[in-house]
Amino acid sequence: MASTTSPDRIKDLTTVLARQGILIAFILFMIGFGLVSDRFLTPENLMTVVRQSAIIGVMAIGVTVVVLSGNLDLSVGSMLSFATVLVVDLHDKLGAAPAIGVMLVATLCIGAINGFLVGFLRLNSLIVTLGMLSAIQGVTLIYSGGKNVDIADQETTWFAIFGRGEVLGMATPIVIFLGLAAIMHLVIAYTPYGRRIYAVGGNPTAAVFSGIRRNRVVFSTYLVSAFCVGIAAIILGSRVMGSQNNVGQGYELLVLSAVILGGTSLLGGSGTIWKTVIGVLILGFIQNGLLLLGFPYFAQWIVTWIVIILAVWLDVAAKRGRLFSPIA
Amino acid sequence: MTKRITLAATTALAGLMLAGAAQAETITIGITQNNVGVDSYQTTYEKAFIEAAEANENVEAIVLDAGGDVARQIAQIQDLIQQEVDAIIIWPTNGKAVVPAVRKADQAGIPVVITNSNIAEEGFEFIESFSGPDNITQGAYSAELMCDALDGEGQIVQISGQPGYTTAIERQKGFEDRLAEACPGVTIMETQPGDWNREKSQRVMESFLVKYDEIDGVYSGDDNMGVGALNAAKAAGRADGMIFVGATNFAVGYEAMGRGEYYGSIYQSPVDDARNALATAIAVVNGEDVPFLNYFDTPKITQENMEEFSKPVF
Amino acid sequence: MAQVLSTPTAPRLSGAFRWLLRHPIWGFVAVVFIFFSFATAHFFDVQNLQNVLVQTSTIGLIALGMTLVMINGNIDLSVGATLALAASLTVDIMGWPVFADWGNWQLLPAVLAGLAAGVAIGALNGIIVWKTGVDAFIVTLGAMLGVRGLVFVYTEEQSFYAMNFAYSDFGASSIGPLPTLAVIFIVCAIAIHLLLSQTVHGRNTYAVGGNREAAVNAGIRVGPHMVVNFMIVGFFAALAGITLSTQMGASTPNLGRDYELWVITAVVLGGTKLTGGAGNIIGTLGGVLAIGILRNGMNLMQVPAFYVLVILGTILIAVLFLDKQLNRKGEEELRL
Repeated sequence: MASTTSPDRIKDLTTVLARQGILIAFILFMIGFGLVSDRFLTPENLMTVVRQSAIIGVMAIGVTVVVLSGNLDLSVGSMLSFATVLVVDLHDKLGAAPAIGVMLVATLCIGAINGFLVGFLRLNSLIVTLGMLSAIQGVTLIYSGGKNVDIADQETTWFAIFGRGEVLGMATPIVIFLGLAAIMHLVIAYTPYGRRIYAVGGNPTAAVFSGIRRNRVVFSTYLVSAFCVGIAAIILGSRVMGSQNNVGQGYELLVLSAVILGGTSLLGGSGTIWKTVIGVLILGFIQNGLLLLGFPYFAQWIVTWIVIILAVWLDVAAKRGRLFSPIA
Repeated sequence: MTKRITLAATTALAGLMLAGAAQAETITIGITQNNVGVDSYQTTYEKAFIEAAEANENVEAIVLDAGGDVARQIAQIQDLIQQEVDAIIIWPTNGKAVVPAVRKADQAGIPVVITNSNIAEEGFEFIESFSGPDNITQGAYSAELMCDALDGEGQIVQISGQPGYTTAIERQKGFEDRLAEACPGVTIMETQPGDWNREKSQRVMESFLVKYDEIDGVYSGDDNMGVGALNAAKAAGRADGMIFVGATNFAVGYEAMGRGEYYGSIYQSPVDDARNALATAIAVVNGEDVPFLNYFDTPKITQENMEEFSKPVF
Repeated sequence: MAQVLSTPTAPRLSGAFRWLLRHPIWGFVAVVFIFFSFATAHFFDVQNLQNVLVQTSTIGLIALGMTLVMINGNIDLSVGATLALAASLTVDIMGWPVFADWGNWQLLPAVLAGLAAGVAIGALNGIIVWKTGVDAFIVTLGAMLGVRGLVFVYTEEQSFYAMNFAYSDFGASSIGPLPTLAVIFIVCAIAIHLLLSQTVHGRNTYAVGGNREAAVNAGIRVGPHMVVNFMIVGFFAALAGITLSTQMGASTPNLGRDYELWVITAVVLGGTKLTGGAGNIIGTLGGVLAIGILRNGMNLMQVPAFYVLVILGTILIAVLFLDKQLNRKGEEELRL
């Protein structure tokens, strides 16, 4: 028996390490970039990147919740365009607070449509949200007439606090991003609601037999996702003080990449919010690090390709305890 | 512009009289645009085009949008040939890729006018005229503005448009070539794309600010991106003394120029662009002589002369 | 007499009806076809119908390969980027000085190189999926970014122009009444239909997607099997890139952006299940045609671009909903 203990312990250690694979990869990655660029690990740069990542990050929190319940949300990119155009446009017409209120309600309505179609009508979430991606983009263009929108008095409006201001000495986007991440992490990890989401994503049939109302849970995840997009839109609108109709184009896949990098399974039922935060930061730092090193922009895409596959491979390999897949 | 419109109207009238009292000859003009809604310029262009076409009762316009997709634009050209329109106006999504489709239109006997950004030279024999701004010259003008502002000495960064699109490539080329020629003392430290997106260029600029302790100037492929860069520099407290030069003057750029934060840009009116294209097409249909490269003027604009220009509507 | 007549027709009618029930998308195709024929003067016209066929052939070719991959229970998001890579390689290579005095034969090495690149990307995706066990969605999402990066590395942002007009003449040529590109698409569709319905590989495709463990037990080598299907979709993405670039006589680095989403949409509309195990080429053809006809018809009707987006999105969801209603199975109705 004694002889088996020490290999077991080593195995335990490796599994623990492997379970935190994404964190280790992140740290190695940061050290690596830090060694080659003297600007990379400066507090100024770190803060800049986290602040830049806040928009993608807030959206990724919402999408993680949707993915945990076993669905996808590809409409978040055009929903972000819609919400940002709306809040910026209404800012000058109604004032900041009503603009935020109206925008959040409108965005939640879109989330409710997604949630109704996927949760209650049981339509495939990939196709539904793909259809919504196109439809919301059209609605945004119809609403704005295709024009950019801008906030006129950029210097005086208190709306500036969300994207440009500071809270407790820290940039507001960072505070919002990390605060929301902390809250959602607690909700998902420690509340009955969180358990229901994992149950629905992990084994929908069993979840239903154990009395969980699957339809409602799925519906609610899309509201969470839409709410997060609304928050991201406030940060974005305030940071730029304007918006374009295509500002969120392509964000759906960027956000999804971050969620996947964080180890959330696309099949649902497994993943955590705080690892999504790591995933978001990895993507942000890749972009920033390669730019600091002076790489052309397309190098960033190729490196992202390699990093995504290696990181997820590490994660999957750790879970099954062997490097290569057992598929014949 | 009003002159051109009147001209077009009179010629149309003349054509009408020639056709006799039997029937009013209306001409159908189809247009396929690059990507309406991607920015305000294109949207304002479309609106101005439709208004100009509606104002002329002898013209019926078929207005299409390729959504930035070359293949869809080619399909739209095919569809327009199919409808036997009298002329096709194309705002190329890509200057090279549309050439065979243009050739097809030419073979079908339908005159083609290119608008806004030109097609590759290989296609020149198949088109009647190009109507639009000269992107290379615009880039060169921006280089001259930058050179003047910096007194021929300094280190700058460049934020270019979406990679792979003609306007972005041409402006970058015009800027770089002219800068090297007229202003060897000004060096471009780095170029990164801002994808015509203000938030993206704000992000790029933030990284530039971390990377370079001294940036004397920023050239952006349009004012929308330029204002993003300005936002980033202001937030970092480094905007004072930094020279911002753009292209395609946007309202936000115009305002920043008025405040003295933004040095200069290129004034390009989408309304002029659209009217010029329609007038060119009408003239071509009516068999009039039009210059092959029918550029409309896109002057430099700085704080000094901005009073001469009305604030852009986009 | 009436009896004699009715007996043979009745089963035939119900046969057609049952066929339609299996492929509800064709009902939709018929509806939009009839609608646009009446709504616009130029739709129902030989030339326009030829255009529709050519326009749909790009998405269509990729959809053929995608159907196989999706029946396998996998997905490929990198097809748009692969398309651009193959197009850029092909158009560039035919202009290489080495082949300058080859005449029209210079197209041959170029086309082969383009197709080989597509097959290679497919093989790479497939092997990664096989060996690492990472979900195909993730592997190909990464490849979608990375391969697009390769395109920009190779092209240095430039568009390439085919100096040899034979290339674009091929894209514009016809065989009899049908455009050559449409013929290529139809031939490929028949080939893949036969592959899927008549061969061992086809049966294995369903088996692997339907129940992987059972497939393994039946002795199917699942890994290599999936790699082959990824190579097929890579091949078709490359072929689509080449046919598309013959239409333009040029290639651009941004070619094929968002195509993956439209291809997947078409395949799903055609009845292929995202979970794998079910689907067929006839349905996929219907899905591809539905999207092609909608786009063409709305162009002809001059629907404003902004509304086209809304209409397409709404129809997509509506068709999915109707399909679900028609295919409703008792066991799925676990409504609580």
